[in-house]
Amino acid sequence: MSWSEHITAALLGTRRRAVPAMSLFDSVPAAEGFVEWQGAADPAGRLLEQAAVLTVARRAGWPAAEAEPIAAAPPETVPLVPAVAAGRLARMLRGDHAKALPEWLAAAERAGYRVPARLLPELLERGRGDRALRPFIARTTGRRGLWLALQNPDWAYLATEDVPASSETDGVWEVGTRGQRVAYLTRLRGTDPAAAREALAATWAGEPAADRTAFLSAFETGLGPEDEEFLEQALDDRAKDVRAVAADLLARLPGSGYGRRMAERARACLRPERRTVRGRTQVWISVEPPAGHDTGMARDGIPFHAAGSFAPAQLGSNPVGTRAGWLREIIARTSTGTWTDLFGGTAMEVVCLPIADDYAKDVHLGWARAAVRQHDATWARALLKGGVVVDEVEALADLLTVLPDTERDAATADLLRWAGDQTGLLRMLERIPGPWIGGLADIVLSALSSAVRHAGDPGAPGHTRPADSRFLGQLCRLADERLDPAAAPKLAELADRHQDSWPLAELSETLRFRHEMLNELR
Amino acid sequence: MSERWSREQVLGLAPDAASHKAAGAVAKPAKWSGLGASDGAVWGECQGSGSSAYRCAVELAEPAFRCTCPSRKFPCKHALALLLLWSEGLVADGDPPAWAAEWLAQREARAQAPRPVSAPKSADPRTRERREQRVGDGLEEFGRWLRDQVSQGLVQAESAPYSLWDDAARRLVDAQAGTLAGQVKSLAAIPRGTGSSRWIDRLLEEYALLHLLTQAYAKQAALPPALRETVRARIGFSTSQDEVLTGPAVRDQWYVIGIRDTEQDMLTTRRVWLRGHTTGRSALVLSFAAPGRSLDTTLVPGTTVDASLAFFPGAQPLRALIATRHEAPAQLPPPSTTIGAFQAEYAAALGHDPWLDRWPALLADVRLSRDGRIVDPSGAALPLHATEPWRLLAVSGGGPITIGGEWTPQGLRALSGWHPTEGVVIP
Repeated sequence: MSWSEHITAALLGTRRRAVPAMSLFDSVPAAEGFVEWQGAADPAGRLLEQAAVLTVARRAGWPAAEAEPIAAAPPETVPLVPAVAAGRLARMLRGDHAKALPEWLAAAERAGYRVPARLLPELLERGRGDRALRPFIARTTGRRGLWLALQNPDWAYLATEDVPASSETDGVWEVGTRGQRVAYLTRLRGTDPAAAREALAATWAGEPAADRTAFLSAFETGLGPEDEEFLEQALDDRAKDVRAVAADLLARLPGSGYGRRMAERARACLRPERRTVRGRTQVWISVEPPAGHDTGMARDGIPFHAAGSFAPAQLGSNPVGTRAGWLREIIARTSTGTWTDLFGGTAMEVVCLPIADDYAKDVHLGWARAAVRQHDATWARALLKGGVVVDEVEALADLLTVLPDTERDAATADLLRWAGDQTGLLRMLERIPGPWIGGLADIVLSALSSAVRHAGDPGAPGHTRPADSRFLGQLCRLADERLDPAAAPKLAELADRHQDSWPLAELSETLRFRHEMLNELR
Repeated sequence: MSERWSREQVLGLAPDAASHKAAGAVAKPAKWSGLGASDGAVWGECQGSGSSAYRCAVELAEPAFRCTCPSRKFPCKHALALLLLWSEGLVADGDPPAWAAEWLAQREARAQAPRPVSAPKSADPRTRERREQRVGDGLEEFGRWLRDQVSQGLVQAESAPYSLWDDAARRLVDAQAGTLAGQVKSLAAIPRGTGSSRWIDRLLEEYALLHLLTQAYAKQAALPPALRETVRARIGFSTSQDEVLTGPAVRDQWYVIGIRDTEQDMLTTRRVWLRGHTTGRSALVLSFAAPGRSLDTTLVPGTTVDASLAFFPGAQPLRALIATRHEAPAQLPPPSTTIGAFQAEYAAALGHDPWLDRWPALLADVRLSRDGRIVDPSGAALPLHATEPWRLLAVSGGGPITIGGEWTPQGLRALSGWHPTEGVVIP
């Protein structure tokens, strides 16, 4: 090619390399009215002139190659969000009140909308950095969102998130993404658990570990005694996560072999004992934590180092010893029915039994965890009302999730009232997910008003200013995201009364924003 | 009654991203007093960090800003915040207070006064002769420099310092060949640049065209007049804007293809590419801004303006000024072409002006390919250059979309996309 010869000559220099000949000029006639071309005398000039002709020729004659376009996206099944709401989403993606994004996406999903296509790249990019957003994004970006995500390796995370069942297509179990297959399996478990089990068993050996974990978690739906065999097999799996999920699921099947093994171990540790204290004879629970850790315990999902065994001491709690950790795990995995059988009476009565040997905390925490895992509302109620779990705010908040919706608000309100002072209240509120409505909202509002009063009043007894303003700030930060926007009018009133408190003013403004945002998505 | 602007339009006026945020923080009704709006203006007083209140007024026609705060940014955050509050409908109608009314009256008086036509600078023939002499000498020396580079070998350019081109550019500036000097200065980035083409190809191309330019200047007497104008403009003999505006204007419905901003030497240049619906002509409108000032936002990509454009003289007229702007017409779909037609158009333009290295493209019904190219219905494909394809891909969904952009020898820089249902999208 003539151009590459010119390049070589130019690189090396015309002193070292002769200028390539170009016969182009001889064949092109001089155009009308233009100057007759006379070649330059020196070689450098000639090279440059020839290169100029070639350059213009190359630029004008750029060949348009052939290329394969990307296949089109599948058609959408879900309607678009209203234009006003889409405008607000664009504002939020630019940074305005970005904390309310998960709430917006959840509300859009509930109303059955999807996000407009032009905002997809920004939304997917946000999900790349912020993992908490990913499930929300997966459920509101529709089919085009998944299609787009598959084109860009940075957004491939979307393929592993669960997508709504409506977006599945035929043959998804064979060729779909992980998220699509999990959705398919979950739906099938709802209607025909046996068929789902068989479908999974057929491909089980060939799946990668992360996929196996996700599919096994889907067994939570429609869990029944027929799944025991498959789950026992999974207990011997190579991957740790798969074993952990299998153990968790088996713990919910009291009649299974797993349940029996656990109950046996539990009975070895806790025993009823009649004791006479101060003239009263009463049943006490005597505790003996397991002496050793054998392979049977390991297989059944009890780790050698229980969670928190070597955790540093937190406020008011001591580090958990290894044996106490095993005790907690055993109790957490034993079916709650075992205790009522062993000690007789109702859950409430068992919870109130006194415990010997300083292991009260471990036993109670184990029960709390068992109640949460096995979704046992009776035990949750008993543990909450019994007031035995103190200092472990997180466990108490978790128990609230097990209660049925009708009771939950009242129980939450009770718990918060009991939590009392500021630090306890904050820790508990952090574990209670939004939206905070009804009685809970009232409690939070009263906490806010007392905090702002104390923060602004140097003469108030017993409270120092910095701690109060910190508390106010943190409470406002939580309330920003979770407080029910319908509380906006009351809060605006409060903010008006204390105009110089800027966290309150910001909170009021944020609530107004969220209120408008949810209205647009109705 | 001028219609209220949208939030996006207001934020588009911000000179930088920090002003964005600052304006949002100031745009709280609690901080403002004396807010009011009338047919063409908005005003208010903002509580600043000190004890005094800053008085701020905006006239919506241009727009023009005035604020008593000490900020050097233009428009300042108070003006932006005032416009944000107005766009959200939180400003009531009313009559302007004394200080605002005074400023508005002053502006009107200045607008009414006739525009003085500036006298052409080098009226004196001796100045012109001296300049021609200087330029001629400077270009001759530059031509020798170019030939020296080539005879020694361009391989030295790979490790040469910036000063090699900087010095050549400075000598051209001394020779009063400013435009050419700017072009030479930007050559320094080529050996260090990355991209699809090799640096040596680009450098030889640029040197060859510069050589062509110097030769053309030397023989300018023998060139046809239009080509001579082009050569002189590329060297640095510019035509004044007033002179251009007095010339003939082309009226058409001009579709705004896209906007490209570049920065060089503390000056931001905004290129707006236009295409006429009826005439099929391409046009380029340039505007400039110093740092801290906002750029002209009157032309929005994807819209059509009914305007009369006055073109700068040349063999292939491209750069133009908006002489008169008429009432906003209906928004028309873009006057797009196929890839083949675009290539023919560009080739024809090169035939008139061989130094053209950018040309606007508006391609219909193209689809994106996996390797960064666009394919039109006939199967022809062009590469994309320096473009993130994601938003175009999301909006088009893999289907056909009209893409408008700036064609360079390295590929097409996409500046806008148009879809029949989704509307305009900026990549």
